[in-house]
Amino acid sequence: MHDTPTLLQLRAVAKHFGGVAAVGGLSTTVRKGTVHGLIGPNGAGKTTVINLITGLFHPTDGEILFDGHNLEAKPPHEIAALGISRTYQNVRLFSGMSALEQVLTGCFLKRGSSLFASFAGLPAARRNWEEARAKSLLLLARVGMAGKADVLAETLSYGEQRRIEIARALGSDPKLLLLDEPTAGMNHAESQAIGQLVHELRDSGLTILMVEHNMGLVTEFCDSCTVMNFGKLLAEGTPRSCIDDPEVQAAYFGRKNDAKRIQPVG
Amino acid sequence: MEAILDFWAAYSATIAFGLVNSFIALSCYAVLSAGVLSFTTVMFAAVGGFVAAQMIGMFALPPLVAFLFAGVAGGVAAAVIAVIFLRLETHWMALASLALVLITRVVVLNTPTLTGGVQGMLVPVRVSVLELFLALAVTAFVFYRMHNSWYGLVSRAVREDPSVASTMGISTYRVQFIAFLISGAVGGIGGAALATTLQFISADTYFLALAFTMIASTVLGGSFHWFGPIVGAFVFTALPTTMQAVLPEIQDVAKGVVLLVIMILLPRGLVDPRVLKLRLSRSPKTAEQPDA
Repeated sequence: MHDTPTLLQLRAVAKHFGGVAAVGGLSTTVRKGTVHGLIGPNGAGKTTVINLITGLFHPTDGEILFDGHNLEAKPPHEIAALGISRTYQNVRLFSGMSALEQVLTGCFLKRGSSLFASFAGLPAARRNWEEARAKSLLLLARVGMAGKADVLAETLSYGEQRRIEIARALGSDPKLLLLDEPTAGMNHAESQAIGQLVHELRDSGLTILMVEHNMGLVTEFCDSCTVMNFGKLLAEGTPRSCIDDPEVQAAYFGRKNDAKRIQPVG
Repeated sequence: MEAILDFWAAYSATIAFGLVNSFIALSCYAVLSAGVLSFTTVMFAAVGGFVAAQMIGMFALPPLVAFLFAGVAGGVAAAVIAVIFLRLETHWMALASLALVLITRVVVLNTPTLTGGVQGMLVPVRVSVLELFLALAVTAFVFYRMHNSWYGLVSRAVREDPSVASTMGISTYRVQFIAFLISGAVGGIGGAALATTLQFISADTYFLALAFTMIASTVLGGSFHWFGPIVGAFVFTALPTTMQAVLPEIQDVAKGVVLLVIMILLPRGLVDPRVLKLRLSRSPKTAEQPDA
């Protein structure tokens, strides 16, 4: 697996908010065609890393390389155009839009015609619009939401909204998909379904970086992972080796002495 | 037949002003629908109004031709304003646009060769209700096309969540710049429509009252669909006349109360596409499936 080319590389990336280092010199690589887990305790800086990659924040130091481009100081819409797409930790769908419109918005980068051609209703633009619509319906079906196209997204359940968000992120045919806790608030069966979907997407050639809390899911569905704590790299490698790492166990469960200290008296 | 003529005699002015205010409200909607609250419409209207008045005065143009020049002038003004304003955070932009309303008034008062200064300007031509209607129909068609195109879709996305929209490859700057251009063009036409309806314009024509008309019409009618501002403009324009006929003693209070009641009961305005989508959401085809 290690001979597959690198798609995303973080080199000593740091992000400071005032005096707080949310990310303090993180280096890691994500290889093409893999599912890479980004894990760590709450407040480890995982979402900040996702925000740095998508350009919502700019690193204070270090550089992010994606597919031969340096993402330094690029605005989010240019980074998206390079082929990076994402979902959000707490679902952020557009209020007032149907499920289909959400996904259609995600297809913006692949619209194929200019804004003006679309406004003027030129034949080619109409055709492109219909294609984007058909593609959105396909994507909805792919995440198991066929038949909900006309439903106002905010009336759907949390799990369904997450699925629509994934479909929306797929609309731009990204090379790299960033999933920020895709299974948060889901039950076991729903999480498994998301895991299956992630595998299907990987098998169709997509690279996925996912923030995940559920260790069972990470071992089951990730090919490799990066463990963070306090904004720094803690461990890297296969999910198994990461979980067996004593440092990682300490970060998640505390040290042996800590456990003794908090044991009830008597 | 006589009844119709009577009605026309009594209300043609209200209808004309309803049409004029529709342009002003649409100009406000154009930027609001891309997530920008701005009173710059007042300035665009002033530019359009005085350009139209000057063109008519110098070349005796028919009103609709003057509208075209006014629209272009408003659009050019909007391009300049957008470059400056889009650097600001949203709430500062709203404040800056209010300042621009005050600046516009001072400029109008102090450039008598262009605007007549304190004396104001007479406009020798009066636009007919039919011409106003035609111009509004064309404008509404433009908004209809925008609403159902990529621009309409992504401007709604930018309005709801600009940072999410940007991670989907949408340049919020570009979308809001286009929104300003449209607002400027429609605002300019609205200013020209006002000039050729009143036949007299001065610094006070394009001042706070117009800003109030603009925002009240848009909020009242609904800012989530282009048809909302038009409905809002007509309701807002007809309200004083109606209240005068029904409750002449307390017409001002009654007008305020009616506005408040509508806004409390329908906070998203008289025209709300969300209601329609909710109905679609609950259609039997989809409602039968239990929630996962």
